Amino acid sequence: MKILAVIKHEYKKIVLKWTFLIGTFLLPALGLVFAFVPVLVFSIKGEPVKIIVIDPSGKIKPRLQQILSGESEVTSNEINRDKRKEAVDISVGEFVFVDYRFDEKNEEQIQRELRAKVSDGEVDAYLIIPRNFEDREANFQLFSRRAGDIVLNSAIRGALTKAVRAEKLLKAKISEKELENLIGEVNFSVKKIGEAGEEKEGTGNFWVGFVVALFIYMVLSIYGQTVLSAVIEEKETRIAEILFSSARPFELMMGKLVGVGLAGLTQVAIWVASAAFIILFSMPYLVAAGWRLPEISFAASISFLVYFLLGFFTYASIFALIGSMVTNIQEGGQFSFVPVMIMLLSFYFCFAILRDPNSSFSFWISIAPFSSPLAMPIRMTMETPPVWQVLFSILVNLLTVVGIVWVASRIYRIGMLMYGKRATLPEIWRWIKEG
Amino acid sequence: MAQLTIKVENVTKRFGDFTAVDSLSFEVYSGRVFGFLGPNGAGKTTTIRMIVGITHPDEGRLEVFGESLPERVQDRIGYLPEERGLYKKMKIQDQIRYFAALKGLSSKEADKRIDYWLERMRLSEWKKKKTTDLSKGMAQKIQFICAVLHDPDLLILDEPFSGLDPISVEFLIEIVSELKAKNKTIIFSTHLMETAERLCDDILLINKSRKVVSGSLRQVKESFGKRIISLRATGADEVLAEKNLVEKVVEHSDEKQVFLAEAADSQELLRRLIESGACISKFELLEPSLKDIFIEKVSGEEL
Repeated sequence: MKILAVIKHEYKKIVLKWTFLIGTFLLPALGLVFAFVPVLVFSIKGEPVKIIVIDPSGKIKPRLQQILSGESEVTSNEINRDKRKEAVDISVGEFVFVDYRFDEKNEEQIQRELRAKVSDGEVDAYLIIPRNFEDREANFQLFSRRAGDIVLNSAIRGALTKAVRAEKLLKAKISEKELENLIGEVNFSVKKIGEAGEEKEGTGNFWVGFVVALFIYMVLSIYGQTVLSAVIEEKETRIAEILFSSARPFELMMGKLVGVGLAGLTQVAIWVASAAFIILFSMPYLVAAGWRLPEISFAASISFLVYFLLGFFTYASIFALIGSMVTNIQEGGQFSFVPVMIMLLSFYFCFAILRDPNSSFSFWISIAPFSSPLAMPIRMTMETPPVWQVLFSILVNLLTVVGIVWVASRIYRIGMLMYGKRATLPEIWRWIKEG
Repeated sequence: MAQLTIKVENVTKRFGDFTAVDSLSFEVYSGRVFGFLGPNGAGKTTTIRMIVGITHPDEGRLEVFGESLPERVQDRIGYLPEERGLYKKMKIQDQIRYFAALKGLSSKEADKRIDYWLERMRLSEWKKKKTTDLSKGMAQKIQFICAVLHDPDLLILDEPFSGLDPISVEFLIEIVSELKAKNKTIIFSTHLMETAERLCDDILLINKSRKVVSGSLRQVKESFGKRIISLRATGADEVLAEKNLVEKVVEHSDEKQVFLAEAADSQELLRRLIESGACISKFELLEPSLKDIFIEKVSGEEL
């Protein structure tokens, strides 16, 4: 069985390389970094923002302070008391409201003084609340050293909107308590109704579906490219000629696909095992933090494997085909655009499934060749599709794989022995016919 | 005992409109070195690819070890292609092991033989190195090892000497002679006629997809007759100018190469020279070299 020698060779070639080791451990680490770094960065508390608020009406500033402090209830008494406070900087949340007397100054003078303060760095920003703040046309102006800080801008904008709205409602004779009732957000919870009509908690499966899709997409494209470059190496270095004089093209191609596929599975197995390990140990903390493990049935897990393999053989044979037809790795890169695009499209189609796993669009993309290896596993995490649909899609995929492998193995030998020029479409058609 | 290793009968191979090999027939026997000669693009590599079972003839019959599908006897064939390659980032030992495994050799046996051959090629210290560390000549020796490691009964070497230094060439010739003594069949293709002349028992010359000459080197040379005379003489110019006797004369430093005319006889020329009173210090019938035959046949076809 020469195919075993080929499988062993391809497998070892990938797994015994240090890049495999790095990929296995670095990729999940990178994933974590991408997932958590933005959250961390945005949660870092910077220096408090020193701000001067010019509020001739005296009504908005206290509310602004209250809203930005994040405290829910400040009675009107307190607000009034605040109003009487004198010459004191008030520290609220991430903001320090710097006191500034503007009573006897004209607008021009105020602007000049404040600009100077900002440019000296004494304060970071100043906010001018118009006297006519209740009008629709009223213009609120923020002058800031940190005008590009969208987080800061939107915090101030949001707080201002709330403050002005609250003042307007108060004027419409709505009490502070009613006000709270009126502008508060509703309580909202999502529960999922399962197949048997049972009620389930939460939307956890959305994330599982997304992660599964991303995962399959990533592994397919990484190992598809691996097949592509392995084939091109054998063609470019003319090793193909020795190989074909020792074993059948079908054995060589299949051996390569199986070997690379096993290497991919090895990597996935390491990832899954280490994830399971981590989850097992952190479970008590996760439960304490209100996390729930998403429910995935054993059948679904097996089907992930089946679809991964179907997807792998579909795409990897296309990559092998491309590799055998082009003359160098650059050309291979250009042509691999086609399968990569199909994969990427299938990945994006999956969002439709995440929104509605039972739509007819979801049905078709989870059956159709090329997209179903990505789509069906996601559908299965969202909703258990009827068994016939799953079997039907597996059948469609099996036929696709057989068809592509059949075409690929006919083209493979001729393509691999053709040096110096790229195969043209009519030529390829002739090869398929003549085999 | 010479046995029939390869039998090719009226084999034709086409690529689209182009006929790469046109009704070619020949036989190759064991214990002999078979020279497969011809200019670039004559169809040598295409024919070799059919013999090793990489491609199949469109027409005609081809048998290797009595088997009409050569891929069934690939394990008995060793092949050094003209376009050579090794995996760039793989250890030498691992590459040879892989090629040996594809020929059905167990890894234990392969390791033993790898040590033997690397030692013989004086490349033992390169065993764990990668291809990128090797010089071109070294890589070529490694490829040669890959072709002979499984002790094939038929060894096919496509332009084996190109790019090798003279010492390595002698070394390969020595190994080829050894294999010949072990009753193996060796085919080698080349356009270097001097080497072919030294090594080959049989030759096949093809040009433009067709056979031009074939047979044992001896026969081929004899059939070309002794049409060239190496002559050192004074006062012979008059006779040499006779068109019915001499086709042409090539001047060398102190002697002439006289090519006899179609119907002329060397003895006739000698008699005429003596009669004309020329002073002859050398009159030697030359065997045509393979190079002469090659040039004559190939350029003759071209006209």
